[in-house]
Amino acid sequence: MAERKSLLKIKPKKYKTGDVVKLDFMVMHPMETGVRKDKKTGQIVPADYITEVKFLFNDQLVTKMIIWEALSTNPLFTTNFKVPGPGVMKVIFTDNKGTVTEKSKKIKPKG
Amino acid sequence: MQRRLFLKGCGTALAVSAVVPSMVIAQEAPKSANAMSYAAALEAITGGKPVTASNKVELKAPEIAENGAVVPIKVSVESPMTDKDYVKAIHVLAKKNFNARCANVFLTPANGKALFGTRIKLGGTQDVVAVVEMSDGSFISASQNVKVTIGGCG
Repeated sequence: MAERKSLLKIKPKKYKTGDVVKLDFMVMHPMETGVRKDKKTGQIVPADYITEVKFLFNDQLVTKMIIWEALSTNPLFTTNFKVPGPGVMKVIFTDNKGTVTEKSKKIKPKG
Repeated sequence: MQRRLFLKGCGTALAVSAVVPSMVIAQEAPKSANAMSYAAALEAITGGKPVTASNKVELKAPEIAENGAVVPIKVSVESPMTDKDYVKAIHVLAKKNFNARCANVFLTPANGKALFGTRIKLGGTQDVVAVVEMSDGSFISASQNVKVTIGGCG
């Protein structure tokens, strides 16, 4: 399984310690439900979807999301985060085939 | 209008006869293992506890979605998010999807503000419900009807 492309955005770009920022996490993922049929071959497309997304700050759990197949293709997950200081925000997501992918970004508050 | 209806009927009849072999396969195919009705999903989340509609929960969803495959939704909850009083979980449910559960999001006080946004697939016109579990164990909810012009399930 090829590694999934993902993107973690922090909004706004400039923030201070104690600010509440928005985390936007996007994954390039087909999110197949397992009941859709391929229009050309008539075969059922096997299920392939993300089951769990975890947001960790310095290895401490911030948000855990359990996801079902009802999410759109190339899903976007938005959540808030109160910046306690500098550190690393890590996002780990797992799909139904057991593939685990990590994405991390440094949190660098100014002031 | 009559003629149009008649032609439409003919078209469907033709289409059905043409795809009969593939339809047989479709009937034999197992339904998703995750299929769960709205009532069962709600029961699994709350464990039989009452859910009250509250204006503390803000569910933002479009009234009319042209494409059911991509329906942006945003749930925000009014809460101080301190260690004693915070939003424990946000559950997003779609009433008529074959698996009513869309997302179960577990938050912590480190979030600062209770917000969850995503994009979901809707099979047809239906209610989208956000059930919120507070840290004291109570459940509050908000719902909105979304009209879907083209379904997003195949």
